[in-house]
Amino acid sequence: MDKISALIDGELDEGEVGRQFSRIKQDKELRERWDMFHLIGDTLRNDYGPAPHFDRRITERLALEPTVLAPQRSTARRATAYALSAVASLSAVALVAWVAFSANPLNTPPQEIAQAPIPAAPATAPVTAVASVPSQGTMNEYLLAHQGFSPSTAIQGVLPYIRTVSDSRAPQNR
Amino acid sequence: MKKVWLFVVFGPLAANIALADNGNSQEGFALLQKMANASRHLNYSGTFVYQHTNRSETSRIVHYVNSAGGEFEKLEVLDGPAREVIRSNDQLTCYLPKSKTVIIEQRNARQLPVLLPERMTGILENYTVRKMETDRVADYDCHVIMLEPKDNMRYGRSFCTEISSGLPLRSRTISEKGEVLESFAFTQLAIGGAFNRDKVKSKYAAKSRGWHVDRSALNVSEKVTDTGWIFKSQPPGFKKLTEIKRSIAGRAGVVSHIVFSDGLAAVSIFVEPMPKERPAQTLSRQGAVNIYTRPYADQMVTVLGEAPAATIMQFANSLEQRANAAK
Repeated sequence: MDKISALIDGELDEGEVGRQFSRIKQDKELRERWDMFHLIGDTLRNDYGPAPHFDRRITERLALEPTVLAPQRSTARRATAYALSAVASLSAVALVAWVAFSANPLNTPPQEIAQAPIPAAPATAPVTAVASVPSQGTMNEYLLAHQGFSPSTAIQGVLPYIRTVSDSRAPQNR
Repeated sequence: MKKVWLFVVFGPLAANIALADNGNSQEGFALLQKMANASRHLNYSGTFVYQHTNRSETSRIVHYVNSAGGEFEKLEVLDGPAREVIRSNDQLTCYLPKSKTVIIEQRNARQLPVLLPERMTGILENYTVRKMETDRVADYDCHVIMLEPKDNMRYGRSFCTEISSGLPLRSRTISEKGEVLESFAFTQLAIGGAFNRDKVKSKYAAKSRGWHVDRSALNVSEKVTDTGWIFKSQPPGFKKLTEIKRSIAGRAGVVSHIVFSDGLAAVSIFVEPMPKERPAQTLSRQGAVNIYTRPYADQMVTVLGEAPAATIMQFANSLEQRANAAK
């Protein structure tokens, strides 16, 4: 019975794969199990269900990477400290950006201010008041928690992890 | 089972496609669907570059589907600190050699149902999908599909999908000013090839025996629930996908996480108890993602997503606690 799960997980060698497939072909009960496994897989894949902790854990580790000189300390606390100090250093600039931006009429119905935003006409594009600062990786836990839910990351197939493991601590604009 | 799904998926879409203004649009939409499937079901290996905010990073990817339908993937980041991610179906293993750590995760949200009818119709309601001229990426001819936003609450996207397989070779997120905010593009690619377990094994598999193995994230609890937060004027075109209570690394207490999507872009709203160091209102960005943090009474609100800053801020500013809701 367990062989079916192993089969789907690719844990069987070629000969065993062939044997299992013949068994499935001959045995109705096995076939039903086989269908059930795939149904479960399909259902999981079609589930918005929460679970993308993966990203968060990687981020946490990545946040620790530069400070590995003093290994094996309380990781969670240090990650937090790192995040908070960086937020502090960011906030002054960001506040300026926010103040500049908050002059914008956020509550204007979008139909009224909508205009075809693309395709590219960069030379003549009007300058907006938005001047947000580059993230320094302090928001990564959130970014990564978010990512698992985004259709636009999923739709691209290749890419779901790349923001996840992207080295976002690196200095900007280098 | 598959046939039923096809019907469920394509039935409601037919009406929308009929409304589409011309053949290019229909074709573009069909290509988009083909793309969403291709990346899951094809074998391929290649090198791609991820660019955002004046930075770029190169990675190698190998993706295989075995004869039993199991999906395997290996992603290696080639620049900066070494990082490697191995996926076997829903299990992810991340190797971080620098800190001699292995992180094991179960993840079932990775493959989102981009083909669900409500999602795809969301795309048609909020974007004009157009098939453009063909282009060439990593020596493959590809169809360019443009998704132009119908208002300025979202970014534009362009994809280039390989002509015969539909595999996405390039993806760009484009701002309202026409700038490329973020892009992924293959520089080298081989499509096809037989499944081989060795190709999706980590090079650290043996070396990592003595490393620290972290499985703790397998135990973090998350549950779908009513968080008690509402939005009095959320940006148009966005629908709520889910609402959960969860934990976030390095944050005290339970965090409410609400996700909205317009079919393509998603916005997450996180609400949690105010940390000791009260944060100022901040707006920042990473690639195509804007991030906005603000206090709300004794709570801290963080909103982020691959959408313009105005959209992100409108979510944050229209957040309210329902009168009868417990925190």
